[in-house]
Amino acid sequence: MSLLTLDNVTIRFGGLTAVDTVNLEIKQGEILALIGPNGAGKSTVFNLITSIYKPTEGTISLAGKPLVGIPTHKIAEMGVTRTFQTIRLFSELSVLDNVKIGAHCRGKAGLFQAFTRLPGMKREEAEIEEKAIKALKFLDLETKCEEMAKNLSYGEQRRLEIARALVSKPKLLLLDEPAAGMNPQEKVVLMEMIRRIRDTGITIFLVEHDMKLVMGISERIAVLDYGKLIAEGTPLEVRSNNAVIEAYLGSGKFKSRIRR
Amino acid sequence: MKKLLNNWLIQVLLFLSLLGLTAYGSQIINDITSPYVLTIGLFIGINLIMALGLNLITGVTGQLSLGHAAFMSIGAYASAIATVNYHLPFLVGVLIGGLIACFFGIIIGFPTLRLTGDYLAIATLGFAEIVRVQFTNMKITNGAIGFLGIEGSTTFPIVMTIAVQTICAMVWLENSRNGRAMLAIREDEVASSAVGINTTLYKIQAFAIGAFCAGVGGALFAHTTTFIQPTDFGFQKSVDILSIIVLGGLGSIPGTIIGAIVLTAAPEILRPLANYRMIVYGLLLVVIMIFRPYGLMGGVNLRQAVRRAMMFPKKKQAGREE
Ligand SMILES: Nc1ncnc2c1ncn2[C@@H]1O[C@H](COP(=O)(O)OP(=O)(O)OP(=O)(O)O)[C@@H](O)[C@H]1O
Ligand SMILES: [Mg+2]
Repeated sequence: MSLLTLDNVTIRFGGLTAVDTVNLEIKQGEILALIGPNGAGKSTVFNLITSIYKPTEGTISLAGKPLVGIPTHKIAEMGVTRTFQTIRLFSELSVLDNVKIGAHCRGKAGLFQAFTRLPGMKREEAEIEEKAIKALKFLDLETKCEEMAKNLSYGEQRRLEIARALVSKPKLLLLDEPAAGMNPQEKVVLMEMIRRIRDTGITIFLVEHDMKLVMGISERIAVLDYGKLIAEGTPLEVRSNNAVIEAYLGSGKFKSRIRR
Repeated sequence: MKKLLNNWLIQVLLFLSLLGLTAYGSQIINDITSPYVLTIGLFIGINLIMALGLNLITGVTGQLSLGHAAFMSIGAYASAIATVNYHLPFLVGVLIGGLIACFFGIIIGFPTLRLTGDYLAIATLGFAEIVRVQFTNMKITNGAIGFLGIEGSTTFPIVMTIAVQTICAMVWLENSRNGRAMLAIREDEVASSAVGINTTLYKIQAFAIGAFCAGVGGALFAHTTTFIQPTDFGFQKSVDILSIIVLGGLGSIPGTIIGAIVLTAAPEILRPLANYRMIVYGLLLVVIMIFRPYGLMGGVNLRQAVRRAMMFPKKKQAGREE
């Protein structure tokens, strides 16, 4: 069953077609990776799914419900959350508050509750805190609760972003280069964490340059080049796909990694 | 370690100078009749109420507003008209002042929401000018001549009660889902909407509540001075309120309280310096900002400090379990 469907999605920035008639399906419960050279349009695909950009053409739907034209905050509510390629934490707030804010779309309390502090609101607060701590534990950050987000190490910040995206129990989690800036040990831990997240029933769509990680955890890989989807399949299929090798040929780094 | 020491040194110096200032202040209190001091206390309270409102807009939600005096003037005039022209009770007038200011906060909130940073600041500044000119030309406000004959109903206990209530409300708000959403908007708007925060809604809420506070403060102000004119609510006033929250530390409620006390009392305490008063006042501001660039209470999170102290034993327990 497909959870997310991109149907002929195109976006142009002036003369540049960043994403060009992309058709892509993400199946419920899978780990799908989107790879491609720098500037291929991968992050743009995430921005399109989360309505930060509006496609010039095409439709995107989540379990049959259209996403195009729906404001970003509603998309989180519908069950799609994400991390960012350049870390976007609430850096002057505590780690715990960062994750609590991640649960915003699952809360109900409004101004009235804030000012009256009735038992119902306190219960919700306690629930949010419990959920937040659980998410932090999941990403092995519970000892950092009271730390300010900006004081975490790079790898921890990446994990905190995941915790913040996870706490609202999304259906689909979009990870934009989660391993960037991590050391090899951290990457191994991250791989394990991503698998565990998937095992809780959350579908994972991942953009990543680290081929070892991509090949290691993805069930399917889609390859984007100059905005066009040039290949799609299992890691094995993609690795031996001529078009993919061609696309990466300019950069020897990628060629060797893919062939390995 | 050195950094910490440095920080502590500054803290101690600051404390000592504050102590000196207080000693000097009490000297003055002895010298001057108590109604004078009480009036200063009254203005501290009024400024605090308004500054807490601006702190929510600018310090917590991160929307730089240079038009806070406009909401204050709306509250001042609305309450004055309510009590003088319509003979309504004083506190009803205060509430009306707050509500009408709140209404305008929402109105101004909408078009300015697409603006950020400097652009928003200029837009709010423009709004404040429009309001001021409007009051100068309106008949019911008696134009530039000023609104006379407002009863001096504001008392110290009333102001302090409202101030304490405002502080409580702000602390509660900051620790609620709404408050956290506002903080998130200050930190990163894109990330906020990606976690499901309707940034428009919470910005408007911040403007509405902030304007309400300013309106209440303006109403109390009008019923203290008994005479108001549009020039009372110029750009300078907005800057005065902004200075309070910047000096105290943007987003910090204790900081706002300290800022309101220091900046309202300082010009009075420095009065014996006569002509040099404003120079010393300015220097004081500059020196504080040099030593505490994020404000007096900037970066000091009382709640977090308390929580950290409370969390520590918990952590130990968790360690033992494993
Ligand atoms: N808002 C925008 N305005 C104009 N051009 C844009 C915008 N966003 C992205 N682009 C362009 O679209 C192209 C794709 O960018 P995108 O960030 O999606 O690449 P990417 O595949 O994520 O690359 P990387 O691996 O470096 O992250 C780039 O050429 C980029 O300059
Ligand atoms: Mg990218």
